[in-house]
Amino acid sequence: MSAIIAARTPEARSSSGFRATMLLPGALVTFLLILFALGLVLFLAFRGNDGSLLGVGLTVENFATVATDPLYWTVTLRSLVIAGLVTLATVVTAYPVAYYLAFHAGHRRGLLLFLVTLPFWTSYLLRVFAWKIVLAYNGVLNSALIESGIWSEPTLAFLNTPAAVVVTLAHAYAPFAILPIYVALDTIPKSLLEAASDLGARPFTAFRRVVLPNSMPGVLAAALVVFVPTVGDYVTPAMVGGPASTMIGTLIQSQFGKANDWPFGAALSVCVMLVILLVVLVARGADRRFGSRT
Amino acid sequence: MAFHLKSLTGRKARAGLAALALALSSTVALAAEKLQYFTWSGYELPDFNKSFLAAHPDGVEASIFGDDDDAFTKVKAGFRPDIAHPCYDKVARWNKEGLLQPIDTKRIKNWDSIFPVFKNLPDLQAGDGKVWMVPWDWGNTSILYRTDLVKNPEASWNLLWDKQYAGRMATIDAVHDTPIVAALLAGVNPFDMTAEQMDKVAEKLREQRPLLSSYTTDMTSVEQALASGQLVAAMTWNASATSLKKQGVPVEFMKPKEGMLTWACGFVMLKDAKNVDLAYDFINSRLDADSGKYLIQSYGYGSSLSTAFAGVSKEELDKLQLPADPDVMLKSTIFTGPMKQNDDVAKMFEKVKAGG
Repeated sequence: MSAIIAARTPEARSSSGFRATMLLPGALVTFLLILFALGLVLFLAFRGNDGSLLGVGLTVENFATVATDPLYWTVTLRSLVIAGLVTLATVVTAYPVAYYLAFHAGHRRGLLLFLVTLPFWTSYLLRVFAWKIVLAYNGVLNSALIESGIWSEPTLAFLNTPAAVVVTLAHAYAPFAILPIYVALDTIPKSLLEAASDLGARPFTAFRRVVLPNSMPGVLAAALVVFVPTVGDYVTPAMVGGPASTMIGTLIQSQFGKANDWPFGAALSVCVMLVILLVVLVARGADRRFGSRT
Repeated sequence: MAFHLKSLTGRKARAGLAALALALSSTVALAAEKLQYFTWSGYELPDFNKSFLAAHPDGVEASIFGDDDDAFTKVKAGFRPDIAHPCYDKVARWNKEGLLQPIDTKRIKNWDSIFPVFKNLPDLQAGDGKVWMVPWDWGNTSILYRTDLVKNPEASWNLLWDKQYAGRMATIDAVHDTPIVAALLAGVNPFDMTAEQMDKVAEKLREQRPLLSSYTTDMTSVEQALASGQLVAAMTWNASATSLKKQGVPVEFMKPKEGMLTWACGFVMLKDAKNVDLAYDFINSRLDADSGKYLIQSYGYGSSLSTAFAGVSKEELDKLQLPADPDVMLKSTIFTGPMKQNDDVAKMFEKVKAGG
């Protein structure tokens, strides 16, 4: 017995050393970059603004302003609605793609997966500009509609609207939704589908009762992966949004830029993080109730 | 086995770290030899400092900003260029933060050719023959409109508040442009206002927001939108007027009865500038009469040098709507000096833009 322990110990020690080495980079990033930065934001949120880098004193005034000024609620709500629409559009359009990839793509699957990730080969800004070209006044969409005789005058209704933000973001985040849904669909045992048809289920019933519930974890994961970063986006509304689609990210960015009030920007960030946390908790609750497979 | 692996990874990691450190230090060394120049987009063109590049090939590295308030916060947060290019109204602010070092005018060879109206600006004076900023360019902010789509408008900033052009106008997303105009229209002194007066300015800005297609500093997009007819009028600087007229787009740069805004910008040296000698060479090269002439002819902006205007014909200046003497211009325009409540106006403007 003791001989066995003696034989195992160096092995165990070196494997724990190996584990520690492997964990080190991640731990460094987490503690130095993420947690330290978060702590700094939290600290800054409770400071007063005197124009200096770290502010002065200790105050909850920033939070009081956020809570009492309806503007910040309006803009946060607008961001949640826009991000919600983006999530809905992304997941609804990604699902059929993922479904095809998982069940019907056959030997073309590798090629299609490659094509799905292709947009990532160019910069995000280029993709936004591509959408500007499509949606602009003299852009692709307007020209096509006029050429085909549907409209006689080009319309301003495409660019610089919240709808343009939703379309652009939905396109940009499509791969983030397709991949988790694809993984969820691909891991459904094919025997379940055979069993469903053996028991007389029509294809649609099989989809509704077997495939959809089994793929819910992937759908929820996709929704979170799309929703969380889009709430705080500020580049897209600035480029294709116009004044009516100012999102909370724009306001936060301006506090750290032109408005020169870092403590207030930090307080806004903390509030947005809390709101997103709430949404994530609700989604996790939904996942536990509807999403789990067993 | 595992032990071997460990020592191997350890050695590899050390070698990797050493290589990384070497790479980092070499880029740092490389960067230190180049002048770091922080400027408005479009102002980094090599033609503006030909003699500098002849003496120091590839000797300047430019970083770009779209608005000098953003530039200020970036520098305040630790970005350290050698030379930056803010406008006059910001100099006192940069200075108060202790970001600048005085520039010795004795080392600026064309200092005497700079128009006195710029040389004598109060916030520039550092005493003892030194200045905080060397003026280089000046120009106007006004409404650029399509003459075929806006027929004979009244010469007034009110055009940007005209409901019949809703959705087809844009304005500049900068505190020293749009809020100043709103203040002028609200009958408030833009450079020093009380809290109640600021509310009036905010009210004026709120009135404008639903009519705008965007608040932007991206002048290329504005020019394209004006050329395509998506926009019929926009607040711009001279350069957009010059560029669209060169393309043959029917546009006019308005002379509003309330006055255009006239601004002056220039070079400041950052306190911890590493390349002071290079910086002086650079400023001197930018103050060659030829550089000034290029600025006038290509962008339609004024040079701070009287000698630069000597090389440009009167007809050309008339076409550019640019008098050879800034004093003449300033008689009918509003000079954008420092705004006392800059930060408060900035916060108010941000809120209005977001819909508050």
